[in-house]
Amino acid sequence: MRKVWFVLVVLAACGRGLEPEPICAPDLVGLCGTLRFRGTVPDSTDAVFIAAYLTVPQTCNDLINNRRPIVPGSVPYTDSAAAYSVALDPGTYHWVVAVWKKLGTLTISPQDTALLRVAGYYRNPVDSTQRGVVPISSGPAAGGIDFVVNFDSLRPATDFVTCTAQ
Amino acid sequence: MLLAATPLPAAAQGVLRGTVHTKQGEAIVGASVAIPGTTLSTRTDLQGMYRILLVPAGRVRVHAGAIGYAFADTTVALTGGDSTTLDLTLRAEPLELPPLDVVSTKVARFGDRPAASVVQVPERAIDERAVNTVDEAVDKAAGVQMLNGQINIRGSTGYVQGLNSRVLLLVDGVPMNQGDRGGISWDLLPVDQIERVDILKGAGSSLYGSAALGGVVNLTTRDVPEGVHVRVRLTGGAYGNPPKDVWRFRDGTGLEGGGDVSASYGTATFGGRLAAGARHSDGYREQDDGDHWQIAGRARWQASPRTRVDMSGAWADDHYAVPLAWCLQGQCDDRGQAFQPFKVATAALGSWTDSRKGYIAAQARTVVSERLAWQARASWFRTNFFDQRPPNGSEFGIANRFGAELRAEAHPDSARTVLVGGEVTFSDVTSDIFENHSQSEFAAYGESEQVLGVVRLNVGTRIDFLAVDGGSLSAVVSPRVGGTVATDQRGGTLRASLGRGFRAPSIAERFVHTFAEGLEVIPNPNLQPETAWSTELGYTTAPLFRMLRLDAALFWTEAREQIEPRLIVDSTGPKIQLQNVTRARIAGLDAAILAAPIPDRLTATLSYTYLSTRRQIAGDTSAPGPLGFRPKHLLTLSADYSLGVVRVGADFRYVSRVERIELEPFVDARRVPVKVLDLRAGWKQGPVELRLLAANVLNYIYNLVPQTLAPVRTITLTAVWSH
Repeated sequence: MRKVWFVLVVLAACGRGLEPEPICAPDLVGLCGTLRFRGTVPDSTDAVFIAAYLTVPQTCNDLINNRRPIVPGSVPYTDSAAAYSVALDPGTYHWVVAVWKKLGTLTISPQDTALLRVAGYYRNPVDSTQRGVVPISSGPAAGGIDFVVNFDSLRPATDFVTCTAQ
Repeated sequence: MLLAATPLPAAAQGVLRGTVHTKQGEAIVGASVAIPGTTLSTRTDLQGMYRILLVPAGRVRVHAGAIGYAFADTTVALTGGDSTTLDLTLRAEPLELPPLDVVSTKVARFGDRPAASVVQVPERAIDERAVNTVDEAVDKAAGVQMLNGQINIRGSTGYVQGLNSRVLLLVDGVPMNQGDRGGISWDLLPVDQIERVDILKGAGSSLYGSAALGGVVNLTTRDVPEGVHVRVRLTGGAYGNPPKDVWRFRDGTGLEGGGDVSASYGTATFGGRLAAGARHSDGYREQDDGDHWQIAGRARWQASPRTRVDMSGAWADDHYAVPLAWCLQGQCDDRGQAFQPFKVATAALGSWTDSRKGYIAAQARTVVSERLAWQARASWFRTNFFDQRPPNGSEFGIANRFGAELRAEAHPDSARTVLVGGEVTFSDVTSDIFENHSQSEFAAYGESEQVLGVVRLNVGTRIDFLAVDGGSLSAVVSPRVGGTVATDQRGGTLRASLGRGFRAPSIAERFVHTFAEGLEVIPNPNLQPETAWSTELGYTTAPLFRMLRLDAALFWTEAREQIEPRLIVDSTGPKIQLQNVTRARIAGLDAAILAAPIPDRLTATLSYTYLSTRRQIAGDTSAPGPLGFRPKHLLTLSADYSLGVVRVGADFRYVSRVERIELEPFVDARRVPVKVLDLRAGWKQGPVELRLLAANVLNYIYNLVPQTLAPVRTITLTAVWSH
């Protein structure tokens, strides 16, 4: 009986429960980086989240339906910079975008675009006029996906896609 | 049958009285004394004395048993119109199984093993664990797991955020699931007033109806003894701090504490007890503080030698902050972490709940003769909650559950028992998220048990009629058949049972309209009852080498129309709706080893439950997956060592990481296995008792449901003074 207890106590002591997990964790499948904030945060701000698209969306429907993750979490936006990470399925993502959301409930439908604005996106490190492409493997996360979020330049979805009905 | 049970003339009856004690002459409190095959039974008082009225004259078989003692079975010659004294001596036997079962057949069974698996948490185990609520006491029972307040018996319920329970709670035999959600309020009763918890594993709907789909938990409250008795219980404790600096959320240490006082007075005819208590907890995480106060009472009246009336009631009031979900990256000051398990999202700060609940119940039992008894009960259970949930606003709900039951227990001969009864339940709800609705249930049931040599067979069925908002009735039939075979004289028993269970959807499930995980939850008034067939084959050995006893059971449940949250998408976007979509299978093995390597000193229990689950969604042709929130392996090891006035013990619980959780894409799916070690010590001298509990002593950080941190290390000291 003593041996059984010894084994169990060791098992319990050595067991790994939940551990601190840095935003860019080694076992993350996805991408991570740092956001730098510019401009004045609007009073109506509810959240700033990161979304990624395997292909560049062409329509409002694409913008909502092809977004990964479907329900993104906010990043902290009150300081001048914030680390972030996003868990994503492996693939090559052609648009990684920071989305500003004003107060209101999302319905995960094209109507959401009324609440959302593009606040910045990851750019090609070689040609900053182009979108950056981020390949994600099932191994370590793609790090260093850093870009700027500009609250003074929040752009509506229609600057990027065609919205036929809202 | 009733004619056969005509009362005998008084002259042919007598009184049987005496004491039950150990070989050393110490009184055994709470021992069961019964005349097998009759309605006649009692329990010993604080002096170990008993008295049974209306015993038929002649040679009478007497059975006595108590937890931790081998039973005594003897025969006495009783004189009509007189009193006969019989003193009984019980031998200490830590491997002896519980002597009394009141939950498996609604008829008190003394010494006979039930056809289904029943596990008992006795008063001593509740005391030793120095817990504050009942769920903490039953959490370590074999095959039982609590998931954030929801009980799972062999994986019965899973986790549905309090919207239902597939387990029925009884308080002294009175159903106490909430009228709106169908869930269980574990803090309804002061834990100090509970004498015993009986847990029936598997479908119990053939006697108990809805909610007894996966099992039944019966809380037996302490009886009111004769004389004046006072009991004071004080507790104080501290929570462990987060083991990592990056998780720290407060400068000091969280504390908890409280007290209970109960006083009773009883004579042979009347008795009453009143208990009151309060406690405060700072909680072990951010926004987790809470205050609780409660009162409870019980009264008994021996209206005549044949009739006893019991009344009981309780009221509990809780005000607590609600740490809805732990903070994910960006939702709070995340300190560069992907999640902060001790903190909540900044937007959820200020969430709190006011919860009030109370019940009153009355029961009357009349022993018409040694062959016939009837029992009636009526109850009212009320719950009232108010949730403040920034930034979305608030929610409230008031629910009443009224119940009444009448049943008769007959023993046409010493080898046969018949139980028949009827039950009515009415629930009504007033709520902004469940709207205003009512639900009625009418039921009739019957069960018969026959002893044929070493074989004991029972067959029963129950029919329930359900109506919502006064609409048309729908019927559910729940049959059950079971049996036991005594394989030896020392308690070895083979058991088997097959039964159908059901659970009517709660009013909350049918009509809930709120938001969860950022999505709208819409009502589904057309929900149908869940049903399931459950079978079990089990065996309990007699003590092996006087040191070991084994119990094992194979179980299998096939469930239909299981209610589960589903994501639906319509023209206005995705929504969550509860639907009858799941066909489920839960099969597995439940095994326990009881050991007493040093009788009277060292006892140990190892219990293990293996669950294999399968979930098939209607219309989904993909391969079946596992059910959500059901771990494959559940292991508990407990040991107790006593030396004089000191007792020490430990519990280790391992639960494997659950394979699947509900709505995984919409919640943080982090989860780990559970490995929790509790240590405890106790000291008792005269009327004073001290208990020390170090729960989760290794401060293992884990969660059982998404984004909800399970309790961290908690050190609690309890002092009890009894007079």
